[in-house]
Amino acid sequence: MAFEVVLPRLGWNMEEGTLTGWRKKDGETVRAGEVLFEVESDKAVQEVEALENGVLRIPADSPAPGTTIPVGTVIAYLVQPGEQVPPRKSGLAAHVAPTLAPSAPVSAAPMAAAGPPEGSAPDVQTVPRHAQERSGRKHRAISPRARRVAAELGVEWSRLRGSGSSGRIVERDVRQAAAAEIAVEGGSRMSSGVRASAPATLTTEADASELVRLRNHFTSSRTPVVPSYTDIMMKAAAFALQEHPGLNARFEQGSFVRWATVNIGIAVDTERGLVVPVVHGVQSKTLVEIARETADLIGRAHSGLLRPEELDGGTFSITDLGMYEVDAFTPIINRPECAVLGLGRIVARQVVVDAEAGNVAIRPMVALSLTFDPGLADAAPAARLLQTIKQCVETPYLWLAGR
Amino acid sequence: MREMTFVDAAREGLAEEMARDPSIFVVGEGIGVRGGNFNTTVGLFDLYGPERLRDTPISERGFTAMCIGAAAGGARPVVDFMFIDFLTDAFGDMFNQMSKLQWMSGGRIKMPIVVRGCVGVAPSNAAHHSGNYYPFFMHVPGFRVVMPSTPADAKGLLKTSIRSDDPVLFLEHKSVLTLKGPVPEGEHLVPFGKASVAREGRDVTVVGIAFMVRRALEAAEELSREGISVEVIDPRTLAPLDIDTVLASVRKTGRLLIVDEDFAPCGAASEIAMQVMERGFDDLDAPVKRVNGLFCPAPYSPSLGEHIVPTTTAISQALRDLLAE
Repeated sequence: MAFEVVLPRLGWNMEEGTLTGWRKKDGETVRAGEVLFEVESDKAVQEVEALENGVLRIPADSPAPGTTIPVGTVIAYLVQPGEQVPPRKSGLAAHVAPTLAPSAPVSAAPMAAAGPPEGSAPDVQTVPRHAQERSGRKHRAISPRARRVAAELGVEWSRLRGSGSSGRIVERDVRQAAAAEIAVEGGSRMSSGVRASAPATLTTEADASELVRLRNHFTSSRTPVVPSYTDIMMKAAAFALQEHPGLNARFEQGSFVRWATVNIGIAVDTERGLVVPVVHGVQSKTLVEIARETADLIGRAHSGLLRPEELDGGTFSITDLGMYEVDAFTPIINRPECAVLGLGRIVARQVVVDAEAGNVAIRPMVALSLTFDPGLADAAPAARLLQTIKQCVETPYLWLAGR
Repeated sequence: MREMTFVDAAREGLAEEMARDPSIFVVGEGIGVRGGNFNTTVGLFDLYGPERLRDTPISERGFTAMCIGAAAGGARPVVDFMFIDFLTDAFGDMFNQMSKLQWMSGGRIKMPIVVRGCVGVAPSNAAHHSGNYYPFFMHVPGFRVVMPSTPADAKGLLKTSIRSDDPVLFLEHKSVLTLKGPVPEGEHLVPFGKASVAREGRDVTVVGIAFMVRRALEAAEELSREGISVEVIDPRTLAPLDIDTVLASVRKTGRLLIVDEDFAPCGAASEIAMQVMERGFDDLDAPVKRVNGLFCPAPYSPSLGEHIVPTTTAISQALRDLLAE
C-alpha cells in the first residue's frame, strides 16, 4: 500500500514549515530511517526520516523546495515497486492529513444479508465515526471541557492545533500548551537532592506611593470589585515572571520544569493552618477577574471547601504578612514551586529622596522579600526578578500596559 | 463473605421478606410447586403453600389487574412474569391503573407491587423471549425500574422493592442469573437511586446497563493492559436514575460511553447522555457515545444471535475510539 509523506509537526506550536530540499529523488528506493527531506521551522532546519520502506514518488504538484506549507500537508508517497501513486482528488489544501489517522469503523454490520426493513433506523452498534468532515468546519472546534480548562489555566487556545480525531482541541492539547516542557538547562540531570539545597532570600524596599494611589483610585471609582494589594501584586509578579521566565517553574520528578503560564498561589492563614489556593493563568486575567477569584478562593479556604485541583499547579506564590506589622522576612517556598514573594506592611517612613540636595520625605514604603531555590537560578537572575517587581510597585503603569 | 448465585440471592431476599410480612404473596406461571421457570421461588411453596405462592393460568392481563386491586387494598403482591415480554399483555392496566392510582387518589391509595421478570437476549430465546423494554417504564411517572447486575444487589434491591409503596419493575438479566458473588446475610437493603462504581478509573467512564456492566468490566480489564484506566458505573436503578454519580465520574474523565444491550432509539443511553449534556457540558472533552444491541428483534439462529448483543471486543474498540475523539 502507499504511505503518505507529510510535513511533520516539529514542536507543539509549529503550524507550518518550509520544505528546504529533498535528500532523495523521485523514484528512488528508500528504507525506513533514511533521511527523506529537510524542513525549516521557525527554530531550525531539521532532517525528516522515512517512516516506511518503499519507492519515493513526488507528484508533479508537490510543493517545490522553498515553499512554506501547513503541517500535515502530503508532499509525496512511499509506494511498493510497481504500485501507482494514489490519485489526488484536489489541490493541496484538501490533502492536509489528520493528526491521527482515522481507524476503520468499529465493526462491519453483521446483519447485512438479513438487512433491516426499509425505513427502519440504522443500528447504532456500528456508529460511523467522523460524521462531520474536517473540511467545511469554519471555526476551530474545541471541546467544552478543553475550553473550561483553557480558561482556568489562562491558555490562549485559538492558535492551538487539536489532537482530537476531527481536529478538535481537547483537554490534553490545552494542558500540553500550559506546560511548555522546557526543562531548565541541566535540570534533567539533577537528582532530587537538589531540593535539599537551602533556599536563599533577597530583600529590597520599594516606594509604594504610586501603588497606594492606584488602589485608592480603584476604591473611589466604581470598579465591580476592589482589587486588594495582593491582587495587584499578583499581576505585577506575573508581569515580572514573564520578563524573567527562568523562575516561573516547578520541581517535578527530579527536574525543574519551566511553565508558560504564571499560576500564583496565595498564602491564606486559616483555622486549619496555612492553605495556598492557586490562581491559574494570572498573566492573561484582568485585575477584576483576579480579585473575584481570590475572594472566592480565600472564602472557601476558610470554610475548607477548596477542591484539590485548586491547591495544585502553582508556579509561584505570594505571602503577605503586612497585617502583622512585619517588614522584610524569609518567606517559605511552597513546593513544588521554586520561588515565593513576601510582602511586608506598607508603612510611612522617612526616606532620602534627593541625597545631593539633602532632601528627605515621608513616603509609604514596602519591604519585598524573594525566596528562591538556588538549584533553579543563581542570585543574579533572582535579583533581576525582584528588581522588576520593585519597579512594578514604584511605577505600576509599566505593567498596566502589558507586554 | 459467603458466595451465592444471583438467582439464589434474589430468592433469599424474597424469602426473608415473606417471613417478615405475611401480606406479601407471589403470583405467576409455574411459581408454585415447580419453583419458577428460573428458580425464583424454589422451596417457598413448601413454606407458605398455595395461598402465598399462587400458580396462575396463562392470563397476564387478568392476574396483573387482580394484583393491582390487591395492592390498592393493602396487600404486597409480587407478580412473577418469568419472561418480561409477556408483560406487554398487561400493559393497559399497568400504565393506566398501576402507575396512576397513587396520583389520582392524592396519595391515599398506595401501590406496593413488584413486577419481576427476566430480560435480555440469550441463546435461541428468539424474538418473543428476549425483550428488555425498560425504557417504556422509565418514561412513565410512578414506576421504579430496578436492574441489578450482581448477586448482592439482587438481594438488596429486591428487598427494597418489596418494601416500596410504589410499583417496581424488578428486571433480571438472564445472563447474570448464574453469576456468583459475595452476598451479605440477613438485613441487606440497597437504596434506589444510588449507582455503584464497579471499577474506578481516570481516563474514560462507561455506564453499563445490567449484564453490560459485566462486559464493560471485561473491556476495562482488557484496556488496563494498554495503560488505559476505565471507570465502570452500574446505575442499578434506572428510575430513579443517579446521574450525580455519572457526572462526578465525567468531571474526572471528560469522556462517557454508555453500553446497553437494548435498542438505541429513546433508550436508557439517550436519557443518560441528555442529562450529562445538560448538567455536565463543560466537563465533556468528547461527544458522549453509546454502544447498543442491534435494532432488530432477536433472531432464533445461534449464529445470528451472537451479533445482537454488544461484545467485549466492541466495547473495548468503542472506548479506544472515544479516547481518540
